[in-house]
Amino acid sequence: MKNSFDEKILDEAKDWINANQKVVLATVIQTWGSSPRQVGSRMIVNEKGDFSGSVSGGCVESAVVSECLSLIKDNKSCKKIEFKVSNESAWEVGLACGGEIAVYIEQIH
Amino acid sequence: MKIKTLEEILKKKSSKTEFAILTNLENGDSEIYLPGTSPKGEFSKYADEIENFFKSKKNGVIENSEIFVETYIKPIKVIIVGAVHIAQYLVDFARSLNFEISIIDPRGYFASEQRFPEIKVINKWPKEAFEEIETNSSTALIALTHDPKIDDPALQYALKNKFYYIGALGSKKTHENRCQRLAEAGFTNDEINSIHGPIGIKLGGKSAPEIALSIIAQLVSETYKK
Repeated sequence: MKNSFDEKILDEAKDWINANQKVVLATVIQTWGSSPRQVGSRMIVNEKGDFSGSVSGGCVESAVVSECLSLIKDNKSCKKIEFKVSNESAWEVGLACGGEIAVYIEQIH
Repeated sequence: MKIKTLEEILKKKSSKTEFAILTNLENGDSEIYLPGTSPKGEFSKYADEIENFFKSKKNGVIENSEIFVETYIKPIKVIIVGAVHIAQYLVDFARSLNFEISIIDPRGYFASEQRFPEIKVINKWPKEAFEEIETNSSTALIALTHDPKIDDPALQYALKNKFYYIGALGSKKTHENRCQRLAEAGFTNDEINSIHGPIGIKLGGKSAPEIALSIIAQLVSETYKK
C-alpha cells in the first residue's frame, strides 16, 4: 500500500521551483507485465539534468532525464513516453525486468 | 502542471484531505478532484470512472481515454489493544505501509509515550477508549493482551461495528476459550469465525518482530481482499 501522503517528491519539486529551477515532473501512468515501480511513482528533473525520485529500478531513468531536458529545450508542456522491450531504444537503456511502462512528463510552470 | 495546482496538492497533502489529481495526457491540463464532488470541465464525463478509482484505491489511465487519475487515500486505521513488545514492532511496520495506528491499554506502565513516540496511545479501558476513536468497516483491530478483561470488550466492539479485520493473539487453547466466551455473550458462529485467531500467518518464528511480521502480513493480505 502506497502512502501517497508521505511521499516527498512533490514537496521537493516546489523547493526546486522556489530556487528558480525549471522542473519537469515524470509520472509512471501505465505498466504492463513485471515492472519495478507502480503507477503513480514519480521523478523530478531540472534543466541541469539533476533528478530525484524514480520511475523504474534504475532501468530507464537516464532516458527519462534526456527526454525531460528536450522538453525544457523545446519549451513543450508535456509528452507521453513508452518503454517497451520490443522498442529499440528501450532495449538499449534496458528494461531488464521484461516489463513495459508508460511515463508522462510535464513541465511545472 | 501549473504551479498553482502543485501548491494546492501540497496543501491537501499536508492536511491529509482525500483527493485525486486528474491529468489530461493530451494537453497537460490538470485538476484537483475531491471525492463526492463533480469533476470540472473536460473531466466531467468521467465522473463514474474517477469515483471507481477511489473505491478500488488505485491509480491509472481511464480506459479508452487520455485521462490519468492519481488518488490520495487516507491511511487505514488500525487499533492495537495492548501496548506490548510486539506492538512496538507493529508500529514500525505500519509506518511504511500506510496504516495509522492507535493503541489502547489501560495499564499505564505499558502505555507510555516513551515506549511509543508519535503514536496515539489511549490509556483507558476499551469501552471508554473507543469513544475517542472514530471507527467504521474500514477499521482493523489487533488484540494483543490475551487478557480477557482487556481484549474481550474490544473484540466485541469490533464485531458489532463490523471491522474488516479482527485478529487476536493467543494459543489455540486461549482462542477456544475466547470463542466460548463470545458465544455466551450472544455472538453468532459466523461472527466468531471471522476473528483471526491465533493471529497472523504461519511463518514459524517466535520472536516479537517475527510475530509482528506475521500479523502485518495477514493484515495486508486481508486489506487487499476488502
